[in-house]
Amino acid sequence: MTDLSGITFNTSTDPYNKAAERGWDITDASTITAPLDLEADIVIVGTGAGGGTAAETLSNAGLSVILLEAGPLKTSSQFDMQERAAYRDLYQEGTGRGTKDGGITILQGRSVGGSTTVNWTTSFRTPPQTLDFWAKEMGVTGCSVEEMAPYYEHMESRLNIQKWSQPPNNNNTMLQRASEKLGYSWATIHRNVRGCLNLGYCGLGCPVDAKQSMLVTTIPAALDNKAKLIHRARVVRILRDGDVVKGVEAEALTPDTRGTTGQKITVRATRTILAGGAINTPAILLRSGVPDPHQRIGKRTFLHPTTLSMAIYDELIDPYYGAPQSIYSDHFQWQNVDTGPVCFKLEVPPLQPAFAGGFYSAAGVELTQSMDKLPNTQCMIALMRDGFHEDSPGGEVELNDKGEPLLEYKLNDFLLEGVRRAWNVMVEMQFATGAKSARPAHKQAKHYGSWNEAKAAIAELPVLPFKATVGSAHVMGGCPMGDDPKRSVTDSDGKFHHLDNLYVMDGSLFPTSIGANPQLSIYGLVYKHSSRLAAQLKA
Amino acid sequence: MQTDRRDFLKLSVVGAAALSTMSAGAALSGCTSSAPAAGMKYLRAEDVELLRAMTPAVLKGKIAFGDSAAIDRNVQSFDTLLGDLSDVVIGAVHQAFDVLSFAPTRGLLTGQWSSWTNASLEDAERALGRLRDSSIGLLNAIYAAVIRLTASAWYLVPENASTTGYPGPPKKVRTAAVVAPVEEATP
Repeated sequence: MTDLSGITFNTSTDPYNKAAERGWDITDASTITAPLDLEADIVIVGTGAGGGTAAETLSNAGLSVILLEAGPLKTSSQFDMQERAAYRDLYQEGTGRGTKDGGITILQGRSVGGSTTVNWTTSFRTPPQTLDFWAKEMGVTGCSVEEMAPYYEHMESRLNIQKWSQPPNNNNTMLQRASEKLGYSWATIHRNVRGCLNLGYCGLGCPVDAKQSMLVTTIPAALDNKAKLIHRARVVRILRDGDVVKGVEAEALTPDTRGTTGQKITVRATRTILAGGAINTPAILLRSGVPDPHQRIGKRTFLHPTTLSMAIYDELIDPYYGAPQSIYSDHFQWQNVDTGPVCFKLEVPPLQPAFAGGFYSAAGVELTQSMDKLPNTQCMIALMRDGFHEDSPGGEVELNDKGEPLLEYKLNDFLLEGVRRAWNVMVEMQFATGAKSARPAHKQAKHYGSWNEAKAAIAELPVLPFKATVGSAHVMGGCPMGDDPKRSVTDSDGKFHHLDNLYVMDGSLFPTSIGANPQLSIYGLVYKHSSRLAAQLKA
Repeated sequence: MQTDRRDFLKLSVVGAAALSTMSAGAALSGCTSSAPAAGMKYLRAEDVELLRAMTPAVLKGKIAFGDSAAIDRNVQSFDTLLGDLSDVVIGAVHQAFDVLSFAPTRGLLTGQWSSWTNASLEDAERALGRLRDSSIGLLNAIYAAVIRLTASAWYLVPENASTTGYPGPPKKVRTAAVVAPVEEATP
């Protein structure tokens, strides 16, 4: 890549600049000075991949929709590609979210558009092995490869999901080259972009609205359909009358979304859809004290626990520029489905400096001298497919005294074995493509100068939580769908088993992890569920 | 900034027991207060002392020992970063720092028997090394928090990020000519 810092471009793409002209009904809850009492056919909690898709589908059917979002409305006019503001404004807990013991860092979006506003645009259909496993082992019906295909097709067309046609950046090229050299399978990633400038700042909010996130696609469409969007409004609990859900109650947040203003928002609706993501959706159910006779809510939460390896090359990599993810390898992903050691997908992340510095897992000159080579640095990540093997039961969402969600997730021996194996694979790949040194993300590791040296060192490193750096950008499960109420929270159509008029439509529904970046899995599943609900309500 | 102590670091039995002993010790001794230090929003006086010692060790090669202006700038950036996170994280960081500031645990766990204001660069490096290499998960967790937040606080500042050779992001302006978008492939 060439130096992009000299490039200037115009930004007239922000659809929210014409909100007034288009008659959009958007309320910033931090500004309200009296309680709001509203009614609609549908209330949707959350505006990410699930909430955005449901809002468009249901409002297209002529139903009145109210969307509630805890995060702020931030749009391309404000996206300046600087890390501090992006992490603060667009991520849950400013990227500080972690599992309860701090062992895994969780990157989850938190603004209008949810994680779709900050994801790296990687789009996969749910792998057939995963859908088969759900049907055979998890009691899911109606979600076979054939049954899901039309829903993926629709969303692929809606969000312009296509195979990336430009050359990969050098960070991705190394993954391709290493795969070719070592005989591993690889392929080009599909991305949800339209008019992409190939800048590389997807994770900080697309500055030109090329990314077809919910922020610029389904939510504007729903607003055109007279849906109402209320942001900085955090849902506290669902409202019910006996076994019938009647809507939700929310609290208005302060402008920085760190506190509450004291104002209440009550939305009464004939159908309530939870789409707050796999931590916040179970948390709302837990706070609401809904029936949970088999204690399934918040259980089986999955993360694709992800570790990384940094490598320094003589050649320029410029890992902060260019489409962040364009090549992947599933060579180690389906060696077994649920019978053997944990499997993993190989990808690369974009390396803007604070992200790289924070995840380097090093201090002193090991950190600063390595970071001085950032333009020559390649990074590989391995995303472990959790939730299939019996030794991978996932985590559990619980509430603290204040009703805030905490995710307990143990990095057990099954997963830690995968971490060590993944380091070996990634480091070997980096040396195979000419890396001068490579360093797995272990606090006691250093940059090793050869594959032999690295292999010997990795064998000796104590692979333990905290010493091994593990993160997650994919929180899934916690409200699994399925036909058996003993093993699931909703039926196979996303309807809550134990109350009427309540639905879950987000990544919480997944009975296992996906085994691929989950956005398209959420789009397809929620398009299916929300289309069915729309048809029922119009019948 | 009061946060439920149970939110943080529920580790092995050893770790949890150690934490409750340490936190209780720190609280009973009255060695930590909850009031932020002058000029800080979240960091308390003890936290600032600790970070002034740790910063030149974590960022060796970028911030020299004794360069108090640079050290204080990074401590300030650390405080700003905490404010961008969440109450849960701030509570956890306070607890971690309590363990490092409370004299008995500070000495026992890091080898730093006198106050952090007296620590040399070597003292700070030794302390960090002990936290990193310990077999107690709690201490590894504290190490991870100190280095990640200190490094992030540094590299979040654009001038510091540019020392890596990162040229920075493109400039966004309202009036410049539009760069031609990349053509989409036909599906």
